Amino acid sequence: MKTWLVLTLLLSVPLMGMAQQTGQRKIFPYKYTTDDLPNGLRLVTVPTDYPNLVALYIVVTAGSRNEVEAGKSGFAHFFEHMMFRGSENFTPEQREEIFKRAGAETNAYTTDDRTVYHATFSKEDLDQIMRAEADRFLRLKYTPAQFKTEAKAVKGEYDKNSANPFSKIREVLRETAFKRHTYAHTTMGYLKDIEDMPNQFDYSQQFFRRFYRPEYTTIVLVGDVTRDAALDMTKRYWGEWKRGDYKADIPEEPAQGEARTAQIEWASPTLPHVAVAFHAPRYADDSRELAALDLFESITFGENSELFQRLVLKEQKVDLLDTGFGHQMDPELFTVYARVKDPSDVGYVRDQILKNFERYKTELIPQERLDATRSRMRYGFAMRMNSNSAIAAAIAPYIALKRTPETLNDLFETYQRVTPEDIREAAKKYFREESRTVVTLATKGQKLASNGAGKEGNGR
Amino acid sequence: MRTTAALLLSLLLTTFAPPAARAAQNGMTNNQIASVLQPSASPLVTFRVLFLTGSASDPKGKEGVASLTAAMLAEAGSRALPYDQIVAQMYPMAAGFGWQADKEMTVFTGTTHVDNLEKYYSLIRDMLLDPGFREDDFTRLKTNAVTFLKVQLREANDEELGKEYLYNVIYAGHPYEHHSVGRISSLEKLTLADVRDFYAKNYTRSNMVLGLAGGYPADFPARVQSDFAKLPAGAARAREKFAAPRVPAGMRIDIVKRETRATAMSLGFPIPVTRGHKDWPALALVASYLGQHRNSASHLYQRLREARGLNYGDYAYVEYFPRGMFQFTPDPNLGRSSQIFQIWIRPVEPQNAHFTLRAALFEFDKLLREGMKQQDFEGAREFLTKYGNVLTSTQSAQLGYALDSRFYGTPEFNSYMRESLAKLTLADVNRAIKQHLSADNMRVVLITKDAEALRDAILKGTPSPITYNSEKPADLLAEDKIIQTYKINVRPAQVAVVPVERVFQ
Repeated sequence: MKTWLVLTLLLSVPLMGMAQQTGQRKIFPYKYTTDDLPNGLRLVTVPTDYPNLVALYIVVTAGSRNEVEAGKSGFAHFFEHMMFRGSENFTPEQREEIFKRAGAETNAYTTDDRTVYHATFSKEDLDQIMRAEADRFLRLKYTPAQFKTEAKAVKGEYDKNSANPFSKIREVLRETAFKRHTYAHTTMGYLKDIEDMPNQFDYSQQFFRRFYRPEYTTIVLVGDVTRDAALDMTKRYWGEWKRGDYKADIPEEPAQGEARTAQIEWASPTLPHVAVAFHAPRYADDSRELAALDLFESITFGENSELFQRLVLKEQKVDLLDTGFGHQMDPELFTVYARVKDPSDVGYVRDQILKNFERYKTELIPQERLDATRSRMRYGFAMRMNSNSAIAAAIAPYIALKRTPETLNDLFETYQRVTPEDIREAAKKYFREESRTVVTLATKGQKLASNGAGKEGNGR
Repeated sequence: MRTTAALLLSLLLTTFAPPAARAAQNGMTNNQIASVLQPSASPLVTFRVLFLTGSASDPKGKEGVASLTAAMLAEAGSRALPYDQIVAQMYPMAAGFGWQADKEMTVFTGTTHVDNLEKYYSLIRDMLLDPGFREDDFTRLKTNAVTFLKVQLREANDEELGKEYLYNVIYAGHPYEHHSVGRISSLEKLTLADVRDFYAKNYTRSNMVLGLAGGYPADFPARVQSDFAKLPAGAARAREKFAAPRVPAGMRIDIVKRETRATAMSLGFPIPVTRGHKDWPALALVASYLGQHRNSASHLYQRLREARGLNYGDYAYVEYFPRGMFQFTPDPNLGRSSQIFQIWIRPVEPQNAHFTLRAALFEFDKLLREGMKQQDFEGAREFLTKYGNVLTSTQSAQLGYALDSRFYGTPEFNSYMRESLAKLTLADVNRAIKQHLSADNMRVVLITKDAEALRDAILKGTPSPITYNSEKPADLLAEDKIIQTYKINVRPAQVAVVPVERVFQ
């Protein structure tokens, strides 16, 4: 019942007319607590009334962004795999047995900026799961043989992903647009580095000592749980964890300076793809710039945008038009992807995307579009938080960024303050030719029509 | 804050019907439309509008019309509004209208805040009852369907390609044979008249089950039923049940040839057990032990991935589970009167393909020979007993499972599983294994680049020793010795190389 009340509180805002800047309810309506242990570990507890289940998300603020050394791309993700290979007090088999008996759905993922270990299970099993989880973070233990075997499983993951053209597009886009920053490589990493992983046992232990430290870690517990119980377990099992002192020296990406392009030849038949990307800002909610670009993304390229409706619904030249713009620790790319039905339309589609970026550098977004989009983001986010694990999953990225769910409230409040002029200014600032990268992918030997706008050069 | 909360609480009590009134709706029937109602105080209303029809009802030569008809209702305009205007109206509500067309079920899903219920409902009501059937929507959605099969499955996703083609092979000559989205050659010939015809014959009151959950007003279900009474009655017949496919005896291996780095594998055979069968909980437990989806505790995963590093994961199923590479839990409303037992081996390096296929068959044969052990039985039982909570953790999933329970004639899913599992014994499970599982009629689909070489190696029974990059325990190496020459019992005529262009064609 209280769950529904929370949802009601959250959603009982007028659908339209949300331009008013005060009186908004918080987008993250749950009462949560934050507890910091002396070692730097943080616990965020979010009791809900979704019964029986607890979602445990352990967020480590280290991802492929932290892979600063040459030849080590993909290591954060590989290390995530190693975390399932046993600890001093639990063999992998004992660990599996505990999670199995808890009826747990459990896994982990790695991104540029974070590694997240998550499990959803019956509340009565919380204590022993916290104990097993703490053991691997404090006392991970694996043999060189296990390490080498797991490196093969990571190669298997690369192989399974490799059938999809988007995996390759992202890889080439990153290495074309970035020359110094670690965002130049994907989280999966380069194939040559993945193939070398079996030889990196010593480095893996160094990686663990560097990043698997309390000051990098936040424990998030959502669901049928109380703060007292959660804090007690956290102190008991994680209290003796030692703080570290390592900070990765992540190089800054210099301004791009010239438009770049790359072409990918795909060995098997496919529809051609085009990706248009610009360097964009890092996550921030103390200015309106990033929030303005989020709104720009949905308004000008989303399914209700004039461009989407024209290319996908009316002209039907594109069957997939999508965007990628994350909330990242460092400046990343604002990307538009299109899959084009006819190879002769690739130039046209690319130019339409470029023109759309240009258009909103001078044209103001109508206020009602802005309000409708804010409404959509608010309803969309709220409706997504429909279970304990969904709530935990929704806050995990913001925990990685600023270690508090309050980040979401700050961000949604910033959305409310964005004006059409803010969007125009952000578009002018970021969508400049000299910070643009265009990547196309087509079947080997297929000629793509090119009619000018994307300068050729830096071809691959 | 507390004042606001109290105010809203009182609002809640006046806006939503009291529980007694809501409970009474469950027994309500009207205009022959069946319903599954789950009223609650949630401010969200979830729709699952189910029609008991699907691709098994595609007329011959019109494969894909069921799926395309569903798309024409959910992703196209109504007579009153073109699709772009529907998108524009749903946009600020963050609402959408999803669809899923399987063999015997087609479901339309959506969730809206109760504040927007009237507006949302009027949109989807018109989409379902008064479709626009415009030519430009038809062209777009037909192209999407062809692209899905031709580009997304054939050329960009070896894992789903293998799993889906396995169904094609097992159900050869059966109404389930073609992919639910259709057959490329048939799709290309479909016309708008075919869609109109399918809609008129299949979107009937007798085929419909209205699923509603959440905080809808008390009189809402009756209103929906009255609106949908304008659908034709449809034949008052028992639901068509599709028999198990007749699979010729002996193993068969289809090797799909395409330019790709790795080798994907799917294995399976039909089983006479669906969710309502008394042995379903036992077989669900066997599949969970052997290969619970995306779960590292299960047996195949432990032997193939954890011990040997062959690939990213290895799983087993007793029900259709599409899109498994993207999601942890299955979508509801994929009810079928025939299912297969399936093993999914994620892509392996081509040089290990022969060994891995042997290893999968070795493990399956061992299960048949030795059955499950008490400790494994108890572990899997405890897991499944609790895992039901995870499967049904959202309002939409609860409604979906309730509709499936109605389809299979089973009690509420969680209690059905808890009670069945509590009564189950190891002897029951091992008897069910002996009775329903067998490697005799196994169908195997492999996706690989050098298909001929793999075929020849399988047929010659060439030893397939495996090398590792690290030391392995003696017992594993001893097992490898057995696996590397393990006999794959297949006749030469039953191993075929299939050019990928022929798949789904």
